Amino acid sequence: MASAARDWRQHGHIAFQAGDAVALEADYVVVGSGPGGSGAALILARAGFDVCVVEAGPWRDPADYPSSMLGAMRDMMPDWGATVAVGDSIMPIVQAAVVGGGTVINSAIMVRTPADVLVDWRERHGLGDLFDERAMGDQHDAVDRELAVQRTPEGTAFGANNAMLIEALQRRQLDGNAILRNVQGCQGSGACLQGCRSGAKQSTNLAWLPEVIDRGGTVISCARVDRVIIERGAALGIRGRFRHPRSRALGATVDVRARRGVVIAASAVQTPLILQRSGLRLPALGRHWRVHPGAAIVGVYDQPVDMMRGATQGAASVHFRGGIGLRDGKTYAETGENGIKIESLSLPLELLAGRAAGAGHALIERLADARHQAVWISAVRAEAEGTCRLGLFGQPNVRYKPTQRDLRALRAGSHLLAALHFESGARVVRPGVFGLPAEITPDQLHLLADGPLDNRSWTWVLSHLFGGAVMGKDPQRSVVAPDLHVRGVRRLHVACAAALPTSLGVNPQHTILAVARILAERLANGA
Amino acid sequence: MRRLVEHALRAVFPSSAGIPGLDRLDFGARLDEVRRGPPMLRLGLYAATVLFVLLPVWTVFTPLPSFWLSPARLELHANRLAGSRIYLLRQIMLLLKTVGGLLWGADPEVRQALGLSPLGPDPGTFRGDQSRAPAGASAGAS
Ligand SMILES: Cc1cc2nc3c(=O)[nH]c(=O)nc-3n(C[C@H](O)[C@H](O)[C@H](O)COP(=O)(O)OP(=O)(O)OC[C@H]3O[C@@H](n4cnc5c(N)ncnc54)[C@H](O)[C@@H]3O)c2cc1C
Ligand code: SF4
Repeated sequence: MASAARDWRQHGHIAFQAGDAVALEADYVVVGSGPGGSGAALILARAGFDVCVVEAGPWRDPADYPSSMLGAMRDMMPDWGATVAVGDSIMPIVQAAVVGGGTVINSAIMVRTPADVLVDWRERHGLGDLFDERAMGDQHDAVDRELAVQRTPEGTAFGANNAMLIEALQRRQLDGNAILRNVQGCQGSGACLQGCRSGAKQSTNLAWLPEVIDRGGTVISCARVDRVIIERGAALGIRGRFRHPRSRALGATVDVRARRGVVIAASAVQTPLILQRSGLRLPALGRHWRVHPGAAIVGVYDQPVDMMRGATQGAASVHFRGGIGLRDGKTYAETGENGIKIESLSLPLELLAGRAAGAGHALIERLADARHQAVWISAVRAEAEGTCRLGLFGQPNVRYKPTQRDLRALRAGSHLLAALHFESGARVVRPGVFGLPAEITPDQLHLLADGPLDNRSWTWVLSHLFGGAVMGKDPQRSVVAPDLHVRGVRRLHVACAAALPTSLGVNPQHTILAVARILAERLANGA
Repeated sequence: MRRLVEHALRAVFPSSAGIPGLDRLDFGARLDEVRRGPPMLRLGLYAATVLFVLLPVWTVFTPLPSFWLSPARLELHANRLAGSRIYLLRQIMLLLKTVGGLLWGADPEVRQALGLSPLGPDPGTFRGDQSRAPAGASAGAS
């Protein structure tokens, strides 16, 4: 071990190093510290292994978190949130690059893996009973206890934007609830996207990684892993390099030898790239890349809604998860069509600007009533599959194009949300769809029902990502075999959203946490 | 280039009906922050700005750069770009609106005018950062 690193390691955390190469050894190296990486690292550390987590982003504590969205993009996201998926349209991909990964900037929504997904994984993807309801349920129970998963109590911290969506759903007898979140003592600052400065959100940088360190593990932050060292068909460690979070200056190289194995958990975008840079040439690598593309519908009310106060996302409905149809201006649950999930979302003023139509005085007018706006979103359980490959300059090259059925589901969901806004008393709805008026009134709802089925007309955002290095039985379709090794490489595993064989139709982090913990338990038991 | 970017952002976020726009606000420091950002973002912003400046000939049939347009024509130009049938032009405006929104929406004067509370600091610090007050431990240690 190099001298500088020796000092740092005493504290269990090594941040940016400019000088000597940092060389360490551990039982397991875990690359990435989002829900997947943290979940796996915690279980391995509890089983008594020496774990080293290597994370590209810096370790920020709540007092370091930004307040503005500019700060959030600068401090919390890879390349300031400039990653995009390109098909016939350009869709921003929102992710985190910080110790704790997505758990730091996400809305803390915790939804258990739906039973139909687990059946599908067993039957269509050949994963046997690895992730059956009991195994996953046990992990969900444990995670719920450890991360204080609970409903945000209704009241001032809950927020009118959330309460109004629940009332609107209940008025139509659609199921709709206050969301279960891994938050203790939410103050309703509506700022989950910037990281929770009050420390209420139980992100893994606060809840789990300190325990990994207490148990003798090490976290290396500000160090991007370039590749896995593979020799004679076995993963022996990783090689990476420090990069300063502010100046972006390159620092020392990082080499971590793994005595027992390497677990990659760098997200559905970065995990396939690391495997590609490591020389893997599997047919399914970078394929079966899926998302829940989402779009927002804004209702404008006479009375202030003040969505910037309250839980960032406090209300949701999975009523149409199995499919949504739209006929004669009426939406209905329909199997055989693609499903959607409905949620409330507090959008900061800074982001409302990109969402509002027009420019100049017209734009300012549509932002002036920010306090009167309520934002509800529908996220589609899209059937489209994309690819994620290394770009020419090493950047992610993500190709993705929603299908017509995906668009129909989004349109139906958006129509429903607009109708719910009107039934809740909205004066106008701002659909944010090119080709439709900037504002529609109740008698113009049919315009949304007949809205364009063209990706380029909608403002999609991608934050639930899946695949790229999926698990499965079929060697042509999967990167990770049912024994949870990357095909053809001993001691190499994947523990993040990249490994999930399908999308879920619900928020992913609970599933990712459970899958990662099951993988780690199997490793701990000598699998 | 910085002046051109400022011009484009001011055109997209002008003062209006008592709400201060980027034409009245000092957003230089935050814009510099963006310009120090990743090269792709900077390049995108510059490309969007150049097109914004050059395209009045196409949007309002006036062969002048956008900074020589009258306020009314500048407004028309910005709105025609934002509502253009050509997807790429709409994306260009989306980029300008997104960057402008980050600067405008965080400004304390704007927030006060809209009845929103001011934002707190963006410390930009992290564990191991020399500029961060080390809580008991030596810098860099957790
Ligand atoms: C704004 C937002 C809100 C969301 N809200 C919710 C929600 O409320 N509930 C929910 O269930 N889901 C939510 N999600 C989705 C959820 O956060 C993600 O699905 C989840 O974080 C993915 O986990 P992961 O472990 O696969 O990857 P990530 O969380 O993305 O973690 C991967 C980590 O690996 C690091 N990394 C990447 N490349 C390298 C490398 N080369 N070397 C070292 N480290 C690397 C990254 O910096 C990152 O920290 C949200 C996502 C976003 C962006
Ligand atoms: S809404 Fe605010 S207080 Fe509540 S968890 Fe999110 S950031 Fe924390």
